[in-house]
Order: sequence, then structure tokens, then C-alpha cells
Amino acid sequence: MMTPIVEKALLIAAIGMTGIFLFMAIFYLLILLLDRLMPFREEKRAEEYIEEYGKEEEEEDL
Amino acid sequence: MGLEQLLPAIAGMTWQHLVMIGVGALLIYLAIAKNYEPTLLLPMGFGAILVNIPLSSALTQIDPATGEAVEGVLNVFFQAGIATEIFPLLIFIAIGAMIDFSPLFRNPSLLLFGAAAQFGIFLTMVFAAMLGYDLREAASIGIIGAADGPTSIVVASRFAPSLLGPISVAAYSYMALVPIIQPPVIRLLTSKRERLIRMGNPSNKQISKKTLILFPIVVTIVAGIIAPSSLSLIGFLMFGNLVRECGVLNKLSLSAQNELASLVTLLLGITIASTMTAERFIRLDTLFIIALGLFAFVFDTFGGVIFAKFLNLFRKEGNKLNPMIGACGISAFPMSARVIHQMGQKEDPFNYLLMPAISANVGGQIGSVVAGGIILTLIPLFA
Repeated sequence: MMTPIVEKALLIAAIGMTGIFLFMAIFYLLILLLDRLMPFREEKRAEEYIEEYGKEEEEEDL
Repeated sequence: MGLEQLLPAIAGMTWQHLVMIGVGALLIYLAIAKNYEPTLLLPMGFGAILVNIPLSSALTQIDPATGEAVEGVLNVFFQAGIATEIFPLLIFIAIGAMIDFSPLFRNPSLLLFGAAAQFGIFLTMVFAAMLGYDLREAASIGIIGAADGPTSIVVASRFAPSLLGPISVAAYSYMALVPIIQPPVIRLLTSKRERLIRMGNPSNKQISKKTLILFPIVVTIVAGIIAPSSLSLIGFLMFGNLVRECGVLNKLSLSAQNELASLVTLLLGITIASTMTAERFIRLDTLFIIALGLFAFVFDTFGGVIFAKFLNLFRKEGNKLNPMIGACGISAFPMSARVIHQMGQKEDPFNYLLMPAISANVGGQIGSVVAGGIILTLIPLFA
């Protein structure tokens, strides 16, 4: 039953499962990092920008 | 002039050819009547009929008059699209364009189920090695458990092209049978109390566009640095996803999701059928492979559910995971998530498991590709 091929298969299985968990753990950390570095911010609509810009210009004129 | 000379196909017909024509008809029936992965099983079924009519010009034949080989179109497709891995990799672009990674960002810890539910791949590989298959064949059979057709095709075409037909049939058939395979295994491994666990309110967290654009790029670079052999699989998947998320290639993204996916699947299905000739398919091996494929799917589910139960040992009451979620770590998306959500609702109509189930299922899509990449890396080192 424990032929050299089976022994190799067992070793590959052990390395393989560890490798997948390792990859996924790295991806997990990447997700946390990306989410922390670039959190979602509500994008302002174009009208809001124009409104704000307009107000600033009016203040400058005064 | 006898009938045999007039209709040489009849003279050449054996019972094995008739069985294979029956197999082709069965696949067409399953595709049309039962809606089991019709985009792939229908072309495969028709292709199986096409290549099992003796002297079929779809396959390369030796011209009896000249003694020269006349190339058949399916062999040309095989050499161009599968031996070179082009067809499955193009499918990966399409799949990448279809995947939305946002659910994963809302529940990133569920990504780990995408690793646990690959357990069936490796257990099946060991079991196949015990049955006498060599390492390359055993790995190709085990990869059926990735529940991911293109990954199975890439691995099998590289390591065991002669087994590609039965491996593809098993992979796609069992993907379609997830609603039948997973529930009994889950019920066997979990108590009613565990199946009733609720997993809190689904997160509605918004994910920034920059994050979604950077994710496929960063994953490709990291995966490439750790395991360059996995890059063809992960890279094409992530490229498709970048096309989806970048926001400036909407037309291309839609084309990848629709036209590219449909056309390549059509060609892939009918081309795989070129390996389903009677001489190659009617063997004891085929039955073994189909049985081992089922074994792989069962133990994928086992791996995911047991991993969730293991994590629950360390989680406080009120914050436990519903272990059924673990079963969604396979790649069959979104079927597996839907099955688990329905199972949860059956136990408690007010238990909504869909969001965490989708997150784990997206993790499974990444996990299956990573598993394929790892096998592509490890097997040549040991075989």
C-alpha cells in the first residue's frame, strides 16, 4: 500500500494543503491592507463640486 | 461491390462505438432535459457521437488510397486549443470578468474556506496513487475536486492527456450535481443545532473602486513571485477581473462575459469530445475516474464543513459560524452558495446565509485556481 508513489502523493498533499492556506492567508492580509489604505469614500456629485467651487469664487471676489 | 465497401462505417461499427454514441446521447439528454451544465455537456455529447462513427472525417484518418494522414478538424482544434491550453485560459478571462470580489472584501476571513474545501483534491490524489495510478495521472484525477472545469482541463491536458475525456465529463457532471452531492454530506457532518446558527447581519460595507482595481494586479504579482507556474491560471483570471473593474473597458468586459465565454465553451466542449473515442473511453479507468471524482467532491465538502467546526471551537457563543458555509469553499459558483442558503432556509426560514455563502464561494473560485497552480508547480518536482 505504501509504495514510493503513495508516499510522494502524501507529501505533495501535505505541502499542497499548507501552500493553499498560505496563499489564502496572504490574500486575506492583502485584502485587509488594500481596504485600510483605500477605504471607500462617498464620491461627490459634479453639482456639489460646482456648488462648492462657486462659493469659493464668490468669497474670493468679495 | 458489397455493402461493406459502399458503407464502410457500418462495417467498422463495433459495440464499443454504439456504447459511446449512447454516452453522447445521454450527455445531450442531461444537458437539455435536466439542464446539467448544458453549455458544455451538449457540445461534448454531440462531439462524442461525431467521433464514434467509424472513419469520421472529424478525426485524423489515414487515407487508404494514399496512406497519408488526412487531418480531422477536431484534432486540429485539440492541438491548437487544448494542447496549448489556449481554450481553458481564454475561459479564465471570461470567468474573471464575471467575478465580483466585493463580497470577499466584506467577509475576508471566509476566504480561508476556499483553502479548506480543496481537501478533496489532495485526498483523491493519494487515493488514486494507492489504486496504482502514477503521480501525474493521480493529480489529474484529484483536480476534478477543484470543481472548476477549466482548471481540471489545464492540469489533465498537461499531465494525463489520455484521461482528459473522462476527467472533463466527471468535472462538469459533478459541478452540475452539487445540489444533489452536498446536502447529504453536510447533514451527515452537522447537527440540527449547528445548521440553525445565524451569522449576524450581512455587511453592506462599500468597497472603493481603487481597491477593486488594485486587487487583481497585486494578487497576480504576489502569486507570480511565490509560484510562477501558477501565473497562467491566476494571471488570466485576474486579467479578466481587471477588465471588469477598470471601468474603461465595459464593452470588452461584457464581450468577455458573454461572447468570449460562449464561443470558447462551445469549442472547448466539442474539442474535448475528440478524446472520447471508444478505444480511449471504454475502459475500467473511466469508471474509476468517475467514482474518484465523486469522492473528491464529497471530501471537498467534508474539508470545508470540518474546518468551520474547527474554527467554532475558538469562537465565542453568539459569534459562531454556521458550518454549512464551509461547504461553499468549492469553486462551483454560485450554485454551492445557493444550495447552502436554501438548506439554511429549510431549517429556519429567517436564517439568511446567502451573503456569507457567496463570500466563501468567491474564495473557492480563487482557491481552486491556486490549487491548480500548486499542483502544476509540485508534480514536476516529484514525478
